[in-house]
Amino acid sequence: MSTARSSGSLASLARYGFTDLDGTIAKLDELVSLVGDSGRSALASLGKSANPDQALDFLIRISRENKSAVKKLLSKEESALRLCRLLGASSALAEFVSLNPEVLKEFEKELKLLDREGYVQLFTKALADGSANSQAQVTTLRKAYRTELTKIAIFDLSASIPMSVQPRVSLALADIATAALEGGLIIARRELFFTSEFGLFTQDEVMNTRLAVIGMGKGGAGELNYISDVDVIFVAESADPELENTRMLEIATKLATRMMRAMDSTNQEPALWQVDANLRPEGKAGALVRTLDSHSSYYSRWAENWEFQALLKARPMAGDKELGDAYFEAMNPLVWQSTQRDNFVESVQKMRERVSGNIPADEIDRQIKLGPGGLRDIEFTVQLLQLVHGRTDETVRAADTLTAIDELSNGGYIGRSEAAEFSAHYKFLRVLEHRIQMSKMRRTHLMPLEEDAQRVIARSINLDWTFEELSEMWAEVKLQVRALHQKIFYRPLLAAVSKAGGGLELSNEQASDRLLAIGYLNPAGALQHITALTSGLSRRAQIQKQLLPVLLQWFSEGTDPDSALLAFRRLSENLGESHWYLRMLRDSSGAAERLSVALSNSRLATALLELIPEGAAWFEDPDQLTPATLEDLTEQSLSLASRHEDLDDFAKAVRHIRRRETLRLALGSVVGELNIGGVSQGLSDLTEWYLTTIAKAIQVALAKEIGQDVDFGIVAMGRFGGQELGFGSDADVMFVYRNEQPELSEQSQKLAEKVISELHRLVKDPQLEFEIDMDLRPEGKNGSVARSVDSYRAYYSRWGDIWENQALLRARMIYGSEELVGEFNEVIDQYRYPTELTSKSIIEIRRIKARIETERLPQGADPKRHLKLGRGSLSDIEWLVQLLQLKHGNEFPSIRTPKTLDALDALVESGLMEQHDARVLAEAWTLTSRVRSSGVLWSNKVSDVLSLDRRQLEGMARILEYPRGSASALEEDYLAHTRRSRQVFERLFFS
Amino acid sequence: MKGFFMDKQRDFVLRTIEERNVKFVRLWFTDVAGTLKSVAIAPAEIEGAFAEGIGFDGSAIEGLSRSYEADMLAQPDPSTFQILPWRGEIEPTARMFCDITTPDGIPAAADPRNVLRRALDKAASMGFSFYIHPEIEFYLLKSSQIGPEGPVPVDKAGYFDNVPGGTANDFRRRAVNMLEQLGISVEFSHHEGGPGQNEIDLRYADALTMADNIMTFRTVIKEVAIEQGVYATFMPKPFTEHPGSGMHTHMSLFEGDTNAFYDPSGEYHMSKTAKSFMAGILRHAPEITAVTNQFVNSYKRLWGGGEAPSFVCWGHNNRSALIRVPLYKPNKGNSARIEYRAIDSAANPYLSYALLLSAGLKGIENNYELPTETEDNVWDLSDSERRAMGIQALPQSLDHAIRLLEESELAAEVLGEQVFSYVLANKRKEWSEYRSQVTPFELKTNLEVL
Repeated sequence: MSTARSSGSLASLARYGFTDLDGTIAKLDELVSLVGDSGRSALASLGKSANPDQALDFLIRISRENKSAVKKLLSKEESALRLCRLLGASSALAEFVSLNPEVLKEFEKELKLLDREGYVQLFTKALADGSANSQAQVTTLRKAYRTELTKIAIFDLSASIPMSVQPRVSLALADIATAALEGGLIIARRELFFTSEFGLFTQDEVMNTRLAVIGMGKGGAGELNYISDVDVIFVAESADPELENTRMLEIATKLATRMMRAMDSTNQEPALWQVDANLRPEGKAGALVRTLDSHSSYYSRWAENWEFQALLKARPMAGDKELGDAYFEAMNPLVWQSTQRDNFVESVQKMRERVSGNIPADEIDRQIKLGPGGLRDIEFTVQLLQLVHGRTDETVRAADTLTAIDELSNGGYIGRSEAAEFSAHYKFLRVLEHRIQMSKMRRTHLMPLEEDAQRVIARSINLDWTFEELSEMWAEVKLQVRALHQKIFYRPLLAAVSKAGGGLELSNEQASDRLLAIGYLNPAGALQHITALTSGLSRRAQIQKQLLPVLLQWFSEGTDPDSALLAFRRLSENLGESHWYLRMLRDSSGAAERLSVALSNSRLATALLELIPEGAAWFEDPDQLTPATLEDLTEQSLSLASRHEDLDDFAKAVRHIRRRETLRLALGSVVGELNIGGVSQGLSDLTEWYLTTIAKAIQVALAKEIGQDVDFGIVAMGRFGGQELGFGSDADVMFVYRNEQPELSEQSQKLAEKVISELHRLVKDPQLEFEIDMDLRPEGKNGSVARSVDSYRAYYSRWGDIWENQALLRARMIYGSEELVGEFNEVIDQYRYPTELTSKSIIEIRRIKARIETERLPQGADPKRHLKLGRGSLSDIEWLVQLLQLKHGNEFPSIRTPKTLDALDALVESGLMEQHDARVLAEAWTLTSRVRSSGVLWSNKVSDVLSLDRRQLEGMARILEYPRGSASALEEDYLAHTRRSRQVFERLFFS
Repeated sequence: MKGFFMDKQRDFVLRTIEERNVKFVRLWFTDVAGTLKSVAIAPAEIEGAFAEGIGFDGSAIEGLSRSYEADMLAQPDPSTFQILPWRGEIEPTARMFCDITTPDGIPAAADPRNVLRRALDKAASMGFSFYIHPEIEFYLLKSSQIGPEGPVPVDKAGYFDNVPGGTANDFRRRAVNMLEQLGISVEFSHHEGGPGQNEIDLRYADALTMADNIMTFRTVIKEVAIEQGVYATFMPKPFTEHPGSGMHTHMSLFEGDTNAFYDPSGEYHMSKTAKSFMAGILRHAPEITAVTNQFVNSYKRLWGGGEAPSFVCWGHNNRSALIRVPLYKPNKGNSARIEYRAIDSAANPYLSYALLLSAGLKGIENNYELPTETEDNVWDLSDSERRAMGIQALPQSLDHAIRLLEESELAAEVLGEQVFSYVLANKRKEWSEYRSQVTPFELKTNLEVL
């Protein structure tokens, strides 16, 4: 009777957790043949390992060479369990044991972990025989490390609840890493004494070089993984005044590189891990080793804010202890001062961005460390709280995450139950990470894809868990971790104002610290708004209580969180009781987020939203933020016309649509995909529709009222003609009509004037200003508001100035009968595209331009910052284009366009301008247009001057998709682009 | 300056003011033209100045801001605190250099100190720190009055002459003493080539400290001169017939604690970094000359013959080259450096060093090729010889220099658009004023003949 059968059926094997049932029977037989009866009893222990198949395979392999040792282990239940658990959970460590059978004796007794000092002594002793062969020493060191690693893994796997020992395991892992680094230093020093470098330095010099290894990140904090890079920084000092720093550093650098090599070079015993020194001052480019002074002066002068935050976990790890301590004493205070620095808020945001940074989409769900609800999320929250409150409270400055959570909870910065939850989640995720890493000793934070591997991971944590169960738990943890950031950081802000009790109570001062840290400039005001939004028992207050923590976060990511919060309060007072609004906020997080972006980045959008609160509904569906096309608009006005008989009523409805569509465009450019081209097209279309729709209605009404009509037309001029309108631009127009019957000319003139005055009356909108500008008409302000085609013809032939001809380049008929359009274009074409532009005219244009530069610029304005008339800005570029159009438009019909950018392209294609010049001009023109538009969006004020106000520049830069903190970058970009454009302009326009 | 260090140093300043019974603290900063500006405040105001800065009307300062952004803050840098030695013990006065910011704490675009800081940040991001060692020349005159023969020097001695009982000796001793009291180490001082001309070399320091030191140096020299009843001038070329006052500047880059210019196996022990850095400076030298040699008068020195570095070339111990690679002791790798010889004593050190550094870094970034060394005295070559050797000249006049600067993307980037356009406007103004002058030269050569 064979072994397996005696132990039960195939079914029972399956119950033990084997998957290869047939094969297992034969394998068990082989085991029994190798180690005798104890092989039989091993079945129970194998069944308690994460991967019984793998454990059995290794057991056989090891038994072949080490029968008696294995036999001994299997004969006792405890040792059998220890062995099988390790072989099942980690193929990498199982390999190690099978290659190094002397390790087997470690399984005999119950395992006790040592403290750091203990491990250091152990490794030092292992290296004590002083072999001069450093390769052999490296092998010895690595084996010693792996033996201890194996023991830690056994300890870990023996725990009935792995989460409970995770902190101890992580500490032990950091301790053996420390011991390995110490060992590496011993080897490095010996190498400098005995090997090829001998004679380069004296023994005294090497001994007098004090080198300390500072652990950064998890190594420093004593919370290491099974396998990851160990982040370090080196600091060195000379112990002997005779040994100059330069020489000492040369030695220290050699020691450091050799020590690193002892960890990661090729050797018969594979590398342990990478030692990563890139967090040092100046990163990869910087010197590997510095003196303490040099570190200090770097941090006092050059370091970026995040570098201070990286110091939070910096602790002496190996090497000269006194020096390491001195480093800690000098550097650690900097961490806590860093919140006082100007860019702290910015760097916190960057920290946040790093957390949610670039993870490949297909890995997000499998990520344990990065990604939403991962370890980094917890670490970020904890560190942020430490930074905010640690400045004044020294009791919350621990290096490792779990101690920090405890301290924050003891200090009253995190509620007790949240702290417990947070710790539990952290340990759960760490155990998950550990089990995955342990299996193959690979540096990974990804859940494996293969089902077998997944099953093993689940069993390695708890034998009774399936992977599905594990996944469910994990998903739950992720969800809660994501919510915990808001719960822990933001929700107490609400509690601070309500004083509702219920656990944690932040003082007003602590709440203000938090608000300041994330970018609220007026925390007192913010707390008032929070009070107003959350007090009372209304449904609205309840929903807002739920929502505010995340809104506060989103607002803080914008440029102006304070006014966003105020605007939200107003909006909510306006709309708060409408069902759809509350539902939208409650149910659609995308909508709430888009709303936050709009409120915190654009005062124009905010103001328009207060005017048209129902626009908030679009946030639910981003498609709603696409601008309406001319056809959409026309369709709407047709249906309006059928409903509104009365002209004034109709116009009122049209005005409402204009406001609504302007809001849509504003929101589209702040939270949507709309670029500057889309905005100007949208605004030009909207303006065109607005004028023509109302003009048409007026004509219909007049015809009905007095039975008379006129062939009336509207000419878009200037930027309106070029479809280049921005927010707040005036609409430049001229009016024209056709005199069909000369005897009725007086009547037609009167009628046209009547249409124009009605138009002025009806397009006026006090809620969202609209200006018709007719200054470009013949004779300017003194001229008649309406002219017949004949009158235009007569005027241009007799009186037309060259600048008037130039203005006609951008004339575009937007309204009028086909005949009218045809006749008018025929009249103006001969002036705007003359067969020859006389040199007298050219000189005249140049002179006017030169005069405008000195006269039109407002008193005291800086020409470099004037967006319209400034150095190299819009008018420079447009005048140059127009001069070339006047000169060559007759010969090259392709350059006849009112649009500046199109004209530049056409000029290049026609060989009238160098590609490079056109590009410089187009870039400057586009940037200037975008700057103007972003200025209005941000401030809700039209200004032709690039603001000097940093906050305004910052706001504009954010709308223009610069990274945070780019006020000066935007300014520099603008000034540089326009300077180059001016160089091109001067070269081409005046010569 | 970061919080923690700032706090420690601030405390030191406040304590010293108490202990030494300081009556006034002068807040120093430098305008775009390189003139030192000073605001005196009472000790009671210092603490507030550290916390919030001292507001002042920026429009009053050349190039600092436009009239409509008048409000500026001077933020004292406590690490620069020093008691001024020349004020005596009766009313002790101290000084600190300031960074200029806008009211919301943003570094003012037009603060030259900030321009240099930005350039140094750039270097730091490449792993470098930048060290400077200048040799500053100046003339001692009997007074600022111009005599019938022009300015009157205090002596008639020459290079390294020891003038027994001479003013210059006393002067240098007193000046060096005072500089040391202000924490500025002096390497060397001696009589220079021209009558009344002196040179004092400052011990190397990082560029920002050195620029501050140079500003202090000029003040000290002027103060000592007043004390001794003479007059000191840093004018680049006060005498037609005597050498001008240059500020030869030795430069080196360090990576951590080691000199990045040093390579024991390289030619003249120069590393690749040093060569590319030099190539960068050589390529961009003409376009930044309007800053390193910023006055009409500067070009009288550059083109006054003698050893003036008028041509763009480098050499090992070539005293006519624009860049010289000096000798140093072979085992002193850390003293590897290059010497830029065009810059004069009247330059704005912040802007000049920012540009030189950035030009050099550009050479490193883009791997510029270093032209071959020039061993001849370039002044002895003929124009066509120089053309054949590809040796360019520095600009011939301020006007010429301005035109080169106008086209310089490097300068625009390093100075920032605002300082850049201010410097241009300011220099154009100077040139146009100069152009309208009738000079003694014209009177002498034309009046009697025509």
